[in-house]
Amino acid sequence: MRDPIAVSQILVIEQAPGWLVAALNHAIIAGVLLIGGAITMMLQVWVERRVIARMQDRLGPNRVGPEGILQSIADGIKMFTKEDIVPRAADRWVHLLAPIVALAPIAMMLAVLPWGRGLVAVDLEVGVLYIAAVSSISGVGLMMAGWGSRNTFALLGAMRSIAQLIAYEIPLIIALLGIVLLTGGMSLARMPELQAGIPLFGSSIPGAPDLGLGWFIFTPVGLLGGIIVFICALAEGERTPFDIPEADSEIVAGYMTEYSGMKFAVFYIAQYLLNFALAVLSAVVFLGGWQGPGVAWLADAGLGAAASLLSLLWLLLKAWALFVLMVVIRAAVPRLRVDQLMGFAWKYLLPLALVNVASAALWVGLTQWSSIEWGNLLPVDGLAPWQRIGVAALVTAVINLGATRWVLRINS
Amino acid sequence: MSSEQQPGVIVVDRGHPATRDGRGLARGIGVVLRHLRDAFGPRLERPEQTSGVFTVQYPEERTPLPEASRNLPILLFDDDSGHELCTSCYQCERICPPQVIHITQARDPASGKAVPAIDEFILEYDACMSCGLCAEVCPFDAIKMDHAFELSTATRDPLTVDRAGLARPVSYYAQLAPQAWAEARDGAMKKLQGSRRRRTGTVGMTPARAAPPAADEPAAPTAGAAPASQPASGEPAAASDAKAARLAAIRARNAARQREGGDS
Repeated sequence: MRDPIAVSQILVIEQAPGWLVAALNHAIIAGVLLIGGAITMMLQVWVERRVIARMQDRLGPNRVGPEGILQSIADGIKMFTKEDIVPRAADRWVHLLAPIVALAPIAMMLAVLPWGRGLVAVDLEVGVLYIAAVSSISGVGLMMAGWGSRNTFALLGAMRSIAQLIAYEIPLIIALLGIVLLTGGMSLARMPELQAGIPLFGSSIPGAPDLGLGWFIFTPVGLLGGIIVFICALAEGERTPFDIPEADSEIVAGYMTEYSGMKFAVFYIAQYLLNFALAVLSAVVFLGGWQGPGVAWLADAGLGAAASLLSLLWLLLKAWALFVLMVVIRAAVPRLRVDQLMGFAWKYLLPLALVNVASAALWVGLTQWSSIEWGNLLPVDGLAPWQRIGVAALVTAVINLGATRWVLRINS
Repeated sequence: MSSEQQPGVIVVDRGHPATRDGRGLARGIGVVLRHLRDAFGPRLERPEQTSGVFTVQYPEERTPLPEASRNLPILLFDDDSGHELCTSCYQCERICPPQVIHITQARDPASGKAVPAIDEFILEYDACMSCGLCAEVCPFDAIKMDHAFELSTATRDPLTVDRAGLARPVSYYAQLAPQAWAEARDGAMKKLQGSRRRRTGTVGMTPARAAPPAADEPAAPTAGAAPASQPASGEPAAASDAKAARLAAIRARNAARQREGGDS
């Protein structure tokens, strides 16, 4: 089920040494991921500009290529041919390395994401931990950019971005922790597999068709966790309303103020790629990843390749839907103040994420523990799995709803 | 935070209760989605519309300019007779804030007396600030503001425009600004009759009409011709040199006259 992509078997001669096959295999997969990432980024910029333009009663770029779809390529050529300007007071090496340090971890995030049924470059057992660890490295790149530029705006932006990244990483990881409890593992590649079946009940009802809709978002724990993770993804990706690190109306462009040409483009790519990676992550963890109607049916019919392709399409559809939602929110919501931003992370998201972890633990207890583990306090053994899920959903829904209302009330 | 009223706090009535718990976000998303939907509908043109694309895709689409729109000055001549309305009264040259108008008055070839007509009229489009004071001050309605604005050129020469380049028929201006011309026409034409009585031969006729053999040169545009092509059209190098020389001559004479005036 989870074989790595068998590119080597298609391309490479049988007699080639094992290390060469492995190296080629990884090089090809890395190439596909990075080229796919670059193309995705160009499409993202085009979609964002066109959609936002329509929301603001404009047309957006529509001159380069049909409907302006090649606009990003024209912009790329412009970036390539621009002069590379380094301020005299800047720290040359830090200034040069900052965009690289910002982009590299984000490209590394793409490696562990499951792109489709059996399409995962590296299946890490600790995928969630890896994502959390690697994504916070790019904050170092932002701080390097702000510090190395020797510019007040840049430093202000960098400090804002560090404060924001740290504040929002905590609820993000705690919300993901709830799902880790549900799945009993940190492997991102396994998460979509556990989200098969029908909404809420998954595969627990015998005889029910596998629609590939047992997404965690349909459970109370997953719903609250998904909302928290999506909000944190907005903040991590510095999307409006959390774009205060580069608030163009206040501090020029934040940490990017002193960058131009390709270095600026690298920051730009990093930002959009991070948005996309976080959208894919949210889709994998909460929206069933590559699960969707038809995938299991194709796989059972013996059409493994078609199933993989369909699953890839489902994942991209979900990720793009989340990205478009980010764009819509950008068009609709003004930027927060720094204190509002911090207050939102610490006073709303963090308590809710903690409650959500407790709910997740209760869910696991109600659905998986036996009566003996409960100390014979709860007669859960007599219930069918789907009945236990129903009870757990009810209990956790009450807890999460109550906690949400409580948090909203005490803070308003 | 309590929402109780405190002294010194002004409560603003927004017409709806405070949006809390994400309802403001939902409301905002509703607004942008409505705009997204309407952006595919009719264009935003009427004042009562609140959404719809307002973009005018400029080179292909143009909004009509208002009648009083002004860009750069032109000199009018009568369609029928070819006589220019200008009488060399120098009002425009005097009022021009950036001093870009340079006029020499025509003289009767026989008697050498000054006549109410121009010999040369040079206007530096590149320094003109489009204030429209020349058109305002002109007592003969001879100088008017054109609507053409696409005047970019690769060189500076075409932007020093002489009498031939400035000439436009009255019918062209009447089509640009029908209402303004309807108000001015009778007076202007009456004054032109008066001026013509003191002009002889081809004096005061627009260059293209005065010298029929030179008709194959870039002619004064007719009412329908694209006005933008006139100043932008590349003139022969000799012609532009001659123009520059005439401009320099006028300037030198004016400077000399000013010096004399200063001495006396």
